[in-house]
Amino acid sequence: MKKKLLLLILPILFLFNTTPVLAEQPTLCDRAEMENYGVNKKWEITNSNINNVKITPCVDASEKIYDFQNVLTEEEKEQLKSMIEDYIDKTQMDLVIVIDRIPYSMDETNEVFAADFYDYNDFGIDFENYSGTLLLRNTYEQDPYYDIYTFGEAQLYYDYDRLQIILDGIYDDLHQGNYLTGFTEFIDYLDDYYDSGYGLNNYSIDENGFLVKNYQYPAFIIFGLSLLITIVTMSVLVKKNKMVMKATQAEEYLDQKSIHITNRQDQFLTTHTSSYTVSSSSGGSGGHHSSSGSSGGGHSSGGGRHG
Amino acid sequence: MIIVGDKMTENKQKTEQALENKCPSCTASMKFKPKLGKFKCDYCGSEFTLEELKKYNDNAATDEKNKKKENQKVVDKYDGYISYKCESCGAEIVADEATAATFCVYCGNTAILQSKLSGEFTPSRIIPFKKEKDMAVDAFKGLSKGRPLMPKDFNNEKNIEKIKGVYIPFWLYDVKVSGDVNMNGTIVTHWSSGDTRYTKTDTYKVVRGGDMEYHSIPVDGSTHFDNDIMNTLEPFNYEDLIPYNHAYLSGFYAEKYDEEGDSVLKEVSERAINSTKTYLQNDAKQYTTKVISSNTLSAEEIDKEYVMLPVWMVNIKYNNKMHIFAMNGQTGEFIGNIPIDKKKAVLYTILIFVISAIILSVLSYLIYKGGV
Repeated sequence: MKKKLLLLILPILFLFNTTPVLAEQPTLCDRAEMENYGVNKKWEITNSNINNVKITPCVDASEKIYDFQNVLTEEEKEQLKSMIEDYIDKTQMDLVIVIDRIPYSMDETNEVFAADFYDYNDFGIDFENYSGTLLLRNTYEQDPYYDIYTFGEAQLYYDYDRLQIILDGIYDDLHQGNYLTGFTEFIDYLDDYYDSGYGLNNYSIDENGFLVKNYQYPAFIIFGLSLLITIVTMSVLVKKNKMVMKATQAEEYLDQKSIHITNRQDQFLTTHTSSYTVSSSSGGSGGHHSSSGSSGGGHSSGGGRHG
Repeated sequence: MIIVGDKMTENKQKTEQALENKCPSCTASMKFKPKLGKFKCDYCGSEFTLEELKKYNDNAATDEKNKKKENQKVVDKYDGYISYKCESCGAEIVADEATAATFCVYCGNTAILQSKLSGEFTPSRIIPFKKEKDMAVDAFKGLSKGRPLMPKDFNNEKNIEKIKGVYIPFWLYDVKVSGDVNMNGTIVTHWSSGDTRYTKTDTYKVVRGGDMEYHSIPVDGSTHFDNDIMNTLEPFNYEDLIPYNHAYLSGFYAEKYDEEGDSVLKEVSERAINSTKTYLQNDAKQYTTKVISSNTLSAEEIDKEYVMLPVWMVNIKYNNKMHIFAMNGQTGEFIGNIPIDKKKAVLYTILIFVISAIILSVLSYLIYKGGV
């Protein structure tokens, strides 16, 4: 009886076991052989960033999904890629998903990798300010990590608060390895937020991709100050016309030699001590936007999640 | 007020003389010239000091007496106005009761109404005019400088013509103020320890008392002049006070006092008491704040002197309201309340507001540009 059951189960197990087909690795090019190390954007390659450029994987920017850890099947990749292409067509902003294993001790290492990966490859090159979004999934066993990095105009659509919602929203799926669901959700989030317009108002992007606060006319302050200046100036002008003043004092006629102070009393009555504590807050700024990449261009990030 | 000859009343009749200074050389009328500090005859150009003039007058005194007995001028007093006869041309000069020196409207002669300044009304000392009419005219013309709200033409030539030099009767009071000032004083100290900041407030009952004297506080003794205007003209330099002589009044108007005693003393006392309060309050140096709760200060008169002080006056009618301007005839300080041109005021308010709004807007944009 047992043998029969085993014979029945084994072929089924075998059937399941043979289905996974190894997905293709991303195509890599050799930067050393390419003009300007394969950097087609305006970033200048200097002594300080040449090493970063050299170690940044050189990829075909049209692939969009770079699964160096084979967490997705070819089918899944294709499904995601078609979603990404729809997104790009609609938003005119790039969208990149990178899955790699990068040993790190500081979160910043992830950010440098992600920013350099985006900046030194041709992502967003067709769009203004190289606009686009990159999701990095670091599968480093000791401390798996993921974060979203935004470039160019994407920084205005996906502000810090929206990125928090997205990072939290896809946590369970990424943590459990349900990458297809997680990434699909990620793309849906981006798509939805794009529809709701800018999350970060009153800002614009400068030529290097940094966020710049827009000039806002301080109408109330200017009105108040102008009013104050007018009142003070007019008071001075009116006072210039009023020269007659009642004399209430006579100190210039006081005979200093005649002064006798005969009574000085200083009687202590009460004392009162009050205190208050000054909070020495650190005033941290929360890593909302940074430039920790090596290109000199600006980008923003969500702050990342471990797990 | 018109004085009608028919209404002369016999009961109020009184003999009076209108004095004038005559040139010892040509007997023409002479005026005191502030710049020269002497009397000068406009006709023959002779100059005389007061002493020289006195000598001449003493010699002529006997003749004058006899003359005056014959030519006693009839004075008619009616409703506070008195008419005199001009020594020079015999015309009637009408003046009010307080006027001590004026001009004959017909011949322009100075008429010093001696009886107004005799007996108790004789000032003990006088500061003669040091500033000429020209200076007062220039000061009046210069009023428009830095005063954009002044109505146009307010200080035009027409109004300047009305400037006249007046010797104003002043009382110089010596008073002694004594008593105590009671204050609530606090001493506030701040210190901090770690993140905590402390403020300690010690409250004290503070008393300062004593006495002090004030010498020669001036107060004008004429109801005709606004006390505030006269106060603003202060201070006069008392070093120039010299013994009074009628001769200094020539060429100017003069008034006799019609205010004295308690009402004048009250004003002086208030000023002296206020200054004493300030002095005693400042004596309590160690306190951060000190508020006077009560005081027992009182002022008593030690002495007073009746003097004549020189003031250039000009009355200007603008929008049916009189505006009085005055210049200290000794120091040249020019004061008065200038009316405000409402149209100009509105225009300036709008202009200043718009200009400051534009400047602030540009500034805020530059700060934004510079800050990013």
